[in-house]
Amino acid sequence: MRPVIWDDDEERVSDVRQAAQPCFQCGVCAASCPVFRVAPEFNPRIAVDEIVQTGTVAVTGREWYCAYCLMCEQRCPMGVALCEILVAIKNLSARDGKVPPSIVEMMDVIRFTGKVSHPSKGTTRRRRELGLPELPEVDAAEVQKLLEVTGAIDRLTRYREAECEPQ
Amino acid sequence: MKYAFFPGCTIADRLPFIEKSIRLVCPEYDIGLVGLPFTCCPEPNSVQSFSQYTWLTMAARNIAVAEEHDLDILTACAGCFESLAMAKHMLDTSADTRAHVNRALANIGREYTGQARVVHLLQVLHDDVGCKGIEERTLRQLRMRVVTHSGCHLLRPERVLQVDLAEAPAKLDALVRALGMESVDYMDKTMCCGAGIRGVNRDISFAVLREKFAGMSMVHPDAAVVFCPTCFISFEAGQRVVNRMFGTEYRLPVFYYTELLAVAMGLEGTESILSGHRVQGTEETVARAMGHGGTPAQAPMGTHGAREV
Amino acid sequence: MPENRIGVFLCHCGSNIAGVVDIQRVMEAIRALPDVILVEDYKYMCSKPGQQLLKDAIKKHNLTKIVIGSCSPRMHENTFRQALREAGHNPYLLEIANLREHDSWIHSDDPEAATEKAVDLVRMAVARARLLEPLEEPEVDIKKTSLVIGGGIAGISAALDLANAGFKVYLVEKEATIGGKMARHDKTFPTLDCASCILTPKMAEVGAHPNITLLTLADIEAVEGYVGNFKVTVRQKPRYVDTEKCTSCGDCAEVCPVDVPSEFDANLAYRRAIYIPFAQAVPSAYVLDMDNCLGVDAVRCGKCKTACEAGAIDYDDHERVLTLEVGTIIVATGFEVFDATQKPEYGYGEYPNVVNIMEIERMLSSAGPTGGHVVRPSDLKEPKRIVYIQCVGSRDERTNRYCSRICCMTSIKQARMLREKTGADIWLFYIDLRTFGKGYEEFYEATAEAGVTFVRGRVGEILQDDETKDLIVRGEDTLLGRPVVLEDIDLVVLATGMVPTASTSHVAHLLNLSLSPDGFLMEAHPKLRPVDSFNDGIFVAGTAQGPKDIPDTVAQAKAAAAGAMALMGKGRIKVEPYYSVVDEDKCAGCRVCISVCPYNAIFVNERGASEVNPALCKGCGTCTATCPSGAIRSQHYTDGQIAAMIHEYLSAQQ
Repeated sequence: MRPVIWDDDEERVSDVRQAAQPCFQCGVCAASCPVFRVAPEFNPRIAVDEIVQTGTVAVTGREWYCAYCLMCEQRCPMGVALCEILVAIKNLSARDGKVPPSIVEMMDVIRFTGKVSHPSKGTTRRRRELGLPELPEVDAAEVQKLLEVTGAIDRLTRYREAECEPQ
Repeated sequence: MKYAFFPGCTIADRLPFIEKSIRLVCPEYDIGLVGLPFTCCPEPNSVQSFSQYTWLTMAARNIAVAEEHDLDILTACAGCFESLAMAKHMLDTSADTRAHVNRALANIGREYTGQARVVHLLQVLHDDVGCKGIEERTLRQLRMRVVTHSGCHLLRPERVLQVDLAEAPAKLDALVRALGMESVDYMDKTMCCGAGIRGVNRDISFAVLREKFAGMSMVHPDAAVVFCPTCFISFEAGQRVVNRMFGTEYRLPVFYYTELLAVAMGLEGTESILSGHRVQGTEETVARAMGHGGTPAQAPMGTHGAREV
Repeated sequence: MPENRIGVFLCHCGSNIAGVVDIQRVMEAIRALPDVILVEDYKYMCSKPGQQLLKDAIKKHNLTKIVIGSCSPRMHENTFRQALREAGHNPYLLEIANLREHDSWIHSDDPEAATEKAVDLVRMAVARARLLEPLEEPEVDIKKTSLVIGGGIAGISAALDLANAGFKVYLVEKEATIGGKMARHDKTFPTLDCASCILTPKMAEVGAHPNITLLTLADIEAVEGYVGNFKVTVRQKPRYVDTEKCTSCGDCAEVCPVDVPSEFDANLAYRRAIYIPFAQAVPSAYVLDMDNCLGVDAVRCGKCKTACEAGAIDYDDHERVLTLEVGTIIVATGFEVFDATQKPEYGYGEYPNVVNIMEIERMLSSAGPTGGHVVRPSDLKEPKRIVYIQCVGSRDERTNRYCSRICCMTSIKQARMLREKTGADIWLFYIDLRTFGKGYEEFYEATAEAGVTFVRGRVGEILQDDETKDLIVRGEDTLLGRPVVLEDIDLVVLATGMVPTASTSHVAHLLNLSLSPDGFLMEAHPKLRPVDSFNDGIFVAGTAQGPKDIPDTVAQAKAAAAGAMALMGKGRIKVEPYYSVVDEDKCAGCRVCISVCPYNAIFVNERGASEVNPALCKGCGTCTATCPSGAIRSQHYTDGQIAAMIHEYLSAQQ
């Protein structure tokens, strides 16, 4: 499946639907899913079925429960890339600003540091104690620019707007 | 062989003692590590789910940085490996995608050309150095029964990554055996540690981890050996949370492979590495495995079941 | 060159063609072409009145060449050729433009373009028709002997039908006995007849039939010739036991010191190095497995020879090479069971209590390794909780995409028998249950009533408790959308599918038969020529052609026998004159044509020039295209004819 790059939702959904089409609902994905095992409300099979049957992507919020372990794809007898389909679904909901707060936080950190974790004073000290070299500096402006041209900043803004809307 | 070293945010900032072990071990095998201004890989699940375009472009930038120095990338984290290797696969198999991403990279004056390879330390140690080469350099055998966990993102998608068998991984086990340890098969060996959704749904994430621990504990290992910092944190710090949430009493030392390799090679400075661990009894487990400290390897989760933390 | 008077006939095919292509416009465009004397259209050209129209027009307008715009020539070329013959015309002065499969059916969404394409196709047909030449059809004799390859139920059925009709049959089998996979089964679905009770009388009949020569331990090595006149080289391995003298008393096996896993019993039991595969084997004689024999001299062993009172054992037996001359060949090389170690998540080969359906068949058989009791291989205890997993190695793009067709019913049958025999709890995980045959659905319903639980979902993984060897099965009940975890399972049975045998590809290679992408033999037409191969005189039958159950296998075998009889009954047949002809004046004798010919149809004659055997040549044109001197001509597909079509297409339309 093509990566989610082009800003055309309709084309995107039909792409996803086509990728899901070979599914014959055998359930081996769910049977192999570690999340489904402990939280049956998340079922990769049904996520795919929904797209094939209705041609629309139902944003339930549960699509974010995918741990991206790729076991479903490994075993799918029809070669359906379920994780990729779920990524596409999540991208579509992220475009509408529907994102779990923890991921927004992570994106914010990346936006300003280029990394997913702040190198704290403690880290620097521990690295020095261990005799580790200093980490090469990342040009934050470069990261900022990439996030901007790839639409990540827009998505973050939309998230903030959605948050402010009265529920 | 010289590589652009990609420690990844987690190792560099949260688990520097793992980086220390890598930096101790690599020169011994003539693996040169060059530091370059890499950003987050970026993380394969959350960032890709938020915006696949952003994820792909940032990964392409990191690879482009290595390309500018004519170096292949050596990753130490399964997640970084997955992101960079998958992004590379997408960029190398679709001219359209590559052109699109390169248009974005042009804004920062960079270009992805596809020259650099992306490898994980497991591949270098197992495929290039080889188990025999590893074994020859060890000073002592570590007598320990361990369970291994390669990490989902080193194994799948199998057809693209081609690192090891996704259903029956064997390379980390072979590396573990080269240090004199016994690798015990266990239920759910290829199962996820749950880290991928820790931020999104904590309860589910730790419920997954509990399943994983249930499988590991059935074979009463002395320790778990991983080759991914995310799995490391998930197992090490995670077991306390699991114990709290579910009333279990797991106390399983967890090691990143090169830590034990450094110990087996008798390299200087391994004490500072092990002192960074959080599971009580970690250092004692290593001491016992080395033949110090009286009674031979006692299973913390072992014969008498799990003990209290 | 005599004057060309071309008649063009456009068929509407009801609305199949005319509903898309504007026939009137095509007629207008064609009428003006040079040499076209007549343009007609008709609703169904293939109908009786349509053919009459054609015949009348030939006579009335004194037509020399005919162009018909209709369906594919694969459908009605013969019909129209026959009409030409009846009109006293050479049947090869006909050209068909395929306006249906190549045009109206695939461009139904764009009638305008379809009409333009139709005009192009007919123009090109007219261009070729101008250059068509009358051809004579050579006749060949057909030997009234048939070769059947494979002695399973398909080969047995075909051989018996042919032999009973009075034809001589060579039945070649690579194993030491005929009977094939069916002999290994216990009961057959849905009637629960005992497989060997219905099979062994047939086997005995083959063994005793005066018209059947049975060659066991034999393999095809080379095939030459053509329909009616095949020359087949067969290599027969030594048996070391004289089938005439052997009384099957078993004294030899009694003293043999070697134990070898028994292939016939799915390796669940042992046999000796000298053995009989099963009691009712045909030929009813022991066989010595020399690979596992300790040694035939008296110093090393030689016990069996001493024990044999009949003096049937001959350590000096040797390989034989036979040459058979036959008129027709039936390929019935059967199937293999899918190797489940290719699905590591199910642990087959690693967990002792994960078995396949063939192993259960052997266990269920009262003559089998466990005397009819199904047991857990780890401790030989009777299983109380059993799980069946369907579609292992079928409907799976990682292994085989196709449905193996028999596994649903085999599993249901076994589950039913196990439930009735032992009262075990049985779960059967399926994706879709395919109970398509006569009485199959009723059998399934009765099995569900008997208490077997059917769960819709593919199992994800099987785990083993290493101490007890009990199994845990994880799946999803997809109808409820709920996880299913079954613990303390005693036995998991994998419904392994059918895969083609190595023999099939070997024989296909020797006979120049096509294989479909899944590796099974390809039939000439899936509906109308289901047992013919693309090579005249060679037929396919049974599971070598694709997965099927016993009724379908037997039906196909009987059909193949009937096809062979239809050919051999006539004694002589006409072959299509599409062979290549060498212009000896131009031939330099370089032999490149010989090296490229896929049908071995070209030889060097006494004048040192290449010559084509018309009966072997399929008219593929490879030699024509390869010949550096341009000395070879493909009759009916000459360079001139093809060039004329291309030229016509590229020349601007009026």
